[in-house]
Amino acid sequence: MGLTWTLALRNILRNKRRTGLTVLLISCTLVALMFTDAYMQAMGDVMIRSATRLYPGDGQIHNVAYRAEMDAKEQISNVAEHIENLKKTGLVSGYSLRALDFGMVSSTANNLPVQVVGIDADLEKTVSKLALSIEHGDYLDNDGGDNQILIGAALADLLEVELGDRLVVSLNNYQTDEIEQRLFRVSGIFNLHSRFFDEGLVFIKLSMAQTMLGLGDNVHEIAFNLYDESLSGDETLPFWEQQSTDDTVAEGWKKLMPDLASMMDMLNYSLFIVAAILFVVAVLGVINAMFMSIYERTYEFGVILAIGTRRSSVFVLILVEGLMLAIISLLIGTLLGGILINSIGAIGIDYGNMDFSGVALAEVIRPETRMRQFTSIPFSVFVMTMVACIYPAVNAARIVPATALHKSL
Amino acid sequence: MKPVIEVRSLGRHYGAGDTLIKALSDVNIVIEPGEFTAIVGPSGSGKSTLLQLIGGLDIPNDGTVLLKGKAISDMSGQELSDFRRDHIGFIFQAYNLIPVLSAAENCEYIMLLQGVSTVERKERVYKMLAEVGLEGKESRLPGQLSGGQQQRVAVARAMVSQPDIILADEPTANLDSQTGMELLDMMHDLNRNEGMTFVFSTHDPKIMDRASRLIHIQDGQVIKDETR
Repeated sequence: MGLTWTLALRNILRNKRRTGLTVLLISCTLVALMFTDAYMQAMGDVMIRSATRLYPGDGQIHNVAYRAEMDAKEQISNVAEHIENLKKTGLVSGYSLRALDFGMVSSTANNLPVQVVGIDADLEKTVSKLALSIEHGDYLDNDGGDNQILIGAALADLLEVELGDRLVVSLNNYQTDEIEQRLFRVSGIFNLHSRFFDEGLVFIKLSMAQTMLGLGDNVHEIAFNLYDESLSGDETLPFWEQQSTDDTVAEGWKKLMPDLASMMDMLNYSLFIVAAILFVVAVLGVINAMFMSIYERTYEFGVILAIGTRRSSVFVLILVEGLMLAIISLLIGTLLGGILINSIGAIGIDYGNMDFSGVALAEVIRPETRMRQFTSIPFSVFVMTMVACIYPAVNAARIVPATALHKSL
Repeated sequence: MKPVIEVRSLGRHYGAGDTLIKALSDVNIVIEPGEFTAIVGPSGSGKSTLLQLIGGLDIPNDGTVLLKGKAISDMSGQELSDFRRDHIGFIFQAYNLIPVLSAAENCEYIMLLQGVSTVERKERVYKMLAEVGLEGKESRLPGQLSGGQQQRVAVARAMVSQPDIILADEPTANLDSQTGMELLDMMHDLNRNEGMTFVFSTHDPKIMDRASRLIHIQDGQVIKDETR
């Protein structure tokens, strides 16, 4: 081992408490960064999954004009062709056909505007969690009566209705251009733990919706899930273009839910801010520790400079000490970070369907281990430590021997 | 023979205006090779400042220091470091060994900087430590040695790299008189046997008696230069 390495190693072992505290600081910074990344990633994934798989689906196909104006006159007419295309990709795990429009729902106590959604009960099960969210009564039955309606628990409260109560749904028939009114009985009450869905949506059979709206076999929306949910956010995937036609457009969650996409960007930005704060704190800590170490050895640096050590060698010595601290800290930090992420990941953090910016966190958040937590994040902490050592190293190299030695040589 | 140290009109002051302190003023000294010279004077007379300027550890405000005919003011920082490494040995008042290195490693340090081979380094270190009476204590850390033994290591460190000049600032100040005298005798022997030039500062009359030349300094000026 060279002289510089020997000296550096012995110097950092000299004051074990300070070295321990510095290593702890750097390690904790790394652990915090790794965990924050793992947590944010998991939270982001849960939010996306909660937002997409709760009801909307990983992707949707609409008539281009419907998407632009939300005009229910604009429908998807070549449904079978689209389904065939989706199936051919081998990427789609399930799809649902939906006919939807805004209408009024009336009980004996209240009238409220809602979005009426006509669904095929069996197909819908492959896309949304509607069937699983039924709190009272039953999910829709394709073979059952046409007067089945599912409403959210929040809407039931507003309408002051219970299971089996009658509701009148009013929709515009686009074929006759007249108001169509039908009587329904509440067959199920769902709770998706999202105010938007629970107050604003009612579900009826697809065939009934098509009849009331005068759509024939057309639908407004083909929602689908992908086997690999992460592809839903990949806008560069040729899949989206392949599923779109001159009249229709296939889109993933980023385009369907721009607010959520903005929120995810904000989450990444938050991670950046957290990282920046941690870096600043750690850099100041490392600079402080290194300066303490240098001030403690000012006399010694004066001596080694006096006897012929070059200033550049002193600079390198401090950097090597920093390098050793960084390596030890990274080993400890990476190990602890990995253990923490896996431990919390095994237990999970349950927010109990908390509504977070309009998205119900429907799953337990389990921090996810990712390669960058063991590569780029430790590397950035390494670079941070070395950068933090430069200032103290420059100061050590600029020590004036005569000043350091005071009155003695 | 060319002087090993030549100091011309050397001046060093600190502060300015009303707070100006003249540490050294118009000092002229010539030291020939092989001299055993003591710079003597009371505390605050400028002894240490003069040694610092001779050793290139400080920069004078006026005058020039020539070491082996070369003005140190003409040297770059790196040249000066290399010059100190190769031509000057320092002995400090408070021993100032590197605490994390053993006695042998402290002595080896300068030779490592000089790029001396491992075999030669070991040979010279063990020989020098034996000469200063520290045989068998080579692997001890400074903290495991007495004050006198540490100062012996400091002397060995200063000499082992075979410099032309050894500058020592009150080398016996922290030692009891017996140990101090032993150390001075040892330095004197090395001066005679190896022919190295010794310049040391002291205000101890007993130590002054051993010097072959005394340069008296008071208030930053040479007031007397006597060769014995």
